[in-house]
Amino acid sequence: MAFRSEQMSMIQIYIPSEIAQQTASELGELGQIEFVDLNPQINAFQRAFVGEIRRLDEMERKIRYLQSQIEKVGMKIRPIDSPTNSAFTRPHTQKEIDELESKLSMYESKLLQMNSSQQTLDKRYFELTELRHVIREASVFLSQSNKPGDDGHREDTALLESGQDVAETDELVSGGDLGSITGVIARAKMGIFERILFRVLRGNLYMNHAEIADDVVDPLTEQPIKKNVFVIFAHGKELIAKIKKICESMGATLYTVDPVGEKRREAGLEVIGKLEDLKNVIDNTLSARKAELAKVAETLESWSIIIKKEKAVYHTMNQFNFDANRKALIAEGWCPTNQISTIQHALRNVTERTDSTIPPILNELRTTKIPPTYHKTNKFTAGFQAIVDAYGMATYQEVNPGLFTCISFPFLFAVMFGDFGHGLLVTAFAAWMVVKEKDLAKKKWGEVGLIIFYAPFFLDKFNIWDMMYGGRYMILLMGIFSIYTGLIYNDVFSRTMPIFGRGYNWVIDGDKIVGEKKNRNYPIGIDPIWMVSENKLMFLNSYKMKMGVILGVMQMVFGLVLGIFNHLQFKKPMYILAESVPQILFLLSIFGYLVCIIIYKWATNWDSIGRSPPSLLNTLIYMVLAPGSVQKDDELFTGQAGLQSFLLLLAFLCIPWMLCVKPYLEWKEMSKHSTHGYNNLEDHSAPTQIPGEASSPHHGEVTKPAAAEGGAGEAHEFSEVIVHQIIHTIEFVLSSISHTASYLRLWALSLAHAQLSEVLWDMVLAAVFTMNPNSAPLGLMFTFYMWFNLTVFILIAMEGLSAFLHALRLHWVEFNSKFYLGGGRPFVPFSFSSVLSDSETDD
Amino acid sequence: MSPLTFNISHGYLEAIVRGFKSGILTSAQYLNMAQCESLDDLKLQLSSTDYGNFLQNEPSPLATTTIAEKAREKLVDEFQYLRQNASEPLSTFLDYITYGYMIDNIILLITGTLHERDTHELLERCHPLGMFDSIAALCVATNVSELYNTVMVETPLAPYFEKCLSAHDLDEMNIEIIRNTLYKAYIEDFYEFCKELGGETAEVMSELLEFEADRRVINITINSFNTELTKDDRAKLFPTCGKLYPDGIAKLAKVDEIDQVKAIVEPYGEYRRFFDTLSSDRSLEDRFFEHEVHLNKKSFLQQFHFGVFYAFLRLKEQEIRNIVWIAECIAQYQKERINDYITIF
Repeated sequence: MAFRSEQMSMIQIYIPSEIAQQTASELGELGQIEFVDLNPQINAFQRAFVGEIRRLDEMERKIRYLQSQIEKVGMKIRPIDSPTNSAFTRPHTQKEIDELESKLSMYESKLLQMNSSQQTLDKRYFELTELRHVIREASVFLSQSNKPGDDGHREDTALLESGQDVAETDELVSGGDLGSITGVIARAKMGIFERILFRVLRGNLYMNHAEIADDVVDPLTEQPIKKNVFVIFAHGKELIAKIKKICESMGATLYTVDPVGEKRREAGLEVIGKLEDLKNVIDNTLSARKAELAKVAETLESWSIIIKKEKAVYHTMNQFNFDANRKALIAEGWCPTNQISTIQHALRNVTERTDSTIPPILNELRTTKIPPTYHKTNKFTAGFQAIVDAYGMATYQEVNPGLFTCISFPFLFAVMFGDFGHGLLVTAFAAWMVVKEKDLAKKKWGEVGLIIFYAPFFLDKFNIWDMMYGGRYMILLMGIFSIYTGLIYNDVFSRTMPIFGRGYNWVIDGDKIVGEKKNRNYPIGIDPIWMVSENKLMFLNSYKMKMGVILGVMQMVFGLVLGIFNHLQFKKPMYILAESVPQILFLLSIFGYLVCIIIYKWATNWDSIGRSPPSLLNTLIYMVLAPGSVQKDDELFTGQAGLQSFLLLLAFLCIPWMLCVKPYLEWKEMSKHSTHGYNNLEDHSAPTQIPGEASSPHHGEVTKPAAAEGGAGEAHEFSEVIVHQIIHTIEFVLSSISHTASYLRLWALSLAHAQLSEVLWDMVLAAVFTMNPNSAPLGLMFTFYMWFNLTVFILIAMEGLSAFLHALRLHWVEFNSKFYLGGGRPFVPFSFSSVLSDSETDD
Repeated sequence: MSPLTFNISHGYLEAIVRGFKSGILTSAQYLNMAQCESLDDLKLQLSSTDYGNFLQNEPSPLATTTIAEKAREKLVDEFQYLRQNASEPLSTFLDYITYGYMIDNIILLITGTLHERDTHELLERCHPLGMFDSIAALCVATNVSELYNTVMVETPLAPYFEKCLSAHDLDEMNIEIIRNTLYKAYIEDFYEFCKELGGETAEVMSELLEFEADRRVINITINSFNTELTKDDRAKLFPTCGKLYPDGIAKLAKVDEIDQVKAIVEPYGEYRRFFDTLSSDRSLEDRFFEHEVHLNKKSFLQQFHFGVFYAFLRLKEQEIRNIVWIAECIAQYQKERINDYITIF
């Protein structure tokens, strides 16, 4: 990351069409060019390489099919360690892709064949299993029905209306006059099945059914289904035919069972024998299929990566243009200027590798188009840059606040989070993430969440881990800075650290204990004595409040100074005088003065002068309300009234300065242009452009108003400038007050944090220390656990988050609004690594 | 059902359905689709719409039927989602919508059985929204009363069926009569139900159902020319909740040719133009569809009513018809007729 975004160049590459694919894929590996779509008017499916993409889509479908097959048998696909630059996943030549395609089709057809034969076998097996159950259950029914009078198992007589009917049926069964149908039906359909049968046959049937104990797996859907065996007795051919028809339409499977017991038993044995044979065959085919799939599982991941890359390559090539005789492809795109040589090197590599006679040619184009913004980041700066980018992508080459955010962000955070102990914990956690970053990057957050937090539900579902891991360096700095501010505040878990001894002695004065100053000052931060004093809060509040204002004014003035660099960069040096200077003067003359008197008040020993210190708040209020006069009590130094009137006058002068000078400059610029005839360019060119197309209504619409409003447009534009400037000025004046006040959040948050941690200590842990020494250890064990948990979750996690958000706000609103335009668009290079990581998140 | 409390129970679903509605293909997307050279192109085009990659796992070459099936599957999924999350009275309302599909399925099955088609094949062709448990048993019925006693008695359609109970055998003519009687009873019942719901729903739905009823009346009239259907029987088939009731219906029951129909419909302003230029390229059917689309779109202009659910389903059905039409034109190289779809938005 640098002060400004990378310098970009528009480049044009002529690629001979025979090596176009290799070149594009090489550039994809490099990932340094953002290609511009040269055929935006062409429909997605009319582009040059749609055929190839469709072919790759088909291959992807095959891969998905193989993947689902592999997952179905419970195998794991071997993952690739580093998918971006592994040699396995580099698509080399068209031939290899062709080979891959045929390989994929071969595997697919092989698997399809295996599956279909498997399915037939499964179906056969399924039928035989059902038959086995049918024979077993039906034997029970039939043997029962042959013994009239034995009603022990007959629960299903509800279908028949009276016992008389039962007797009748039994007679008929034993008489052998009754036809029977046996079959299997899904248990869920049983009720409807029975009802319909009853309705159709008007109760002229006897039906018995039994549940099959184990689930049967349907070979088509591969879902286990609960099924019932049923036996229906009815008489008359027609009724039987009707029943059969209903059975079929309800999805029941019918099996014939011999009414003679002896034959049934034989058939049963035969079925069992067949089942065993079939089982063997099925096992064999399964293992063959598994072996085949294992082969595929080894390389499937790399194939899928190759195809994803290929697809990205062709999508990119669809953005290229053909030259006139279709011998070469023309690519245009943005790249960082300092990467041109790398790109050229890559192009040479391709030429050598492919033995092409014509090398690709790279030209740098001169263009007036605004290039994309590219901030080169590393793992340290990426998090900070992301904070800035979330607010708005920097305009090309403007000052990048990300650079300063690296330090100012954790610092402002620490001002609010200042606690030595909490800082230490945060630092330790961040340091662990930084040290272990390589291991952690591979892991999924779920596992890590278990290790860090003994409450994994906390991390359930939301991706907080990825966020923390991404910002590990930021957290590290935040922790380190918090240790520092904790030291300054002399605050560790709300206790003090009298490292260098106190700077005061206790003196008993009547019924009070008063601190008496020793000869030396406490060397760093706040004297620990303050922590036990009665006026601790008053002292700390005043200190932190003033510090907040000082830090705020510093950061805002710095932001305004950065604005000067922006004006220089955008070749508008006049704006420094018209905008930056009055803004800085305005801010300094009021709030800069406030900072000065704060420091002056701190530096003065008011006791030795023998007067009480004046209130700065009143000073500032009366500076505006009653300019030119200072009350005697409030006077800080001689000549204060005169200085204050001067500063106030200066501030008021700055307002018209900001308001008028910039619009005047713009107006002058415009009138200069128009005297040179520049802004008539459109009007002149319009008629020359359209003679041939004058009839085209579209063109007419566009050019006509432009020509008619030639003069009016300018006035309109100028009034816009004025309105814009008025808004801008009012906003700046008002915001300089509100923004300064906004920095008081540094004090507020810091106060809240310190108070919370003190409350926690007093309420939870402190009580134990006054307990009976015998029970104290036990109590401590319990309360420490509670105290530590609350410290981690509330004081560090939640308070940390809130301080983070406030620091974010101070950067986005208070700091960035002083200079940052944020009107750019991000540089999105064509790169395989981003293509692959995108597709990963899609999955 | 007042606007004040509507959102308590139905706000979520209304939002969902409005979301679905905004995914309906626009004319620009149809234009793009009409330019496709092959069904694979069409797949590419559709993948950038709300349909997403619904054809992703279909091996090429694609068939039109696959596209239709998948598109219908998606619609059914969406509808089932709405139905499962609906609470009273919206759930009953949505059930009412499915009765229409049930009638179609029943007729399909009976006709199929009459022609001795395979039951399973017929079941696959049934619309999934009109399925009920005992539908398969329809194939055993040979006459109307059997049909009623065996199957229909436990479906929600039973009360409609009572009106066409007769011991007639099932033949083509009778099936057609059953269909129309069922439909008449269904539309009238649905109409009554919507009226009971009151409020915006009644307002919007009565317009939609009135048109539906009138369309059926006109269609029945035109289709019954030169058939065995007597004029009395014809009159019995006319739904009586439309705008044509009672005058138009009474007159239409007596006509013999299309010109007379035209003359009778003439006084009804919105229907007049259907017959205006019958000689032009658009058929009467298409004009009806166009008007239906217009009415359905209109129902989205009001809030806090159930009409949007009905309208959404209808629009989606039209959209699927459009996609299938375009796909068929592409598949059969009939590019000159490809633009005969009905644009929705």
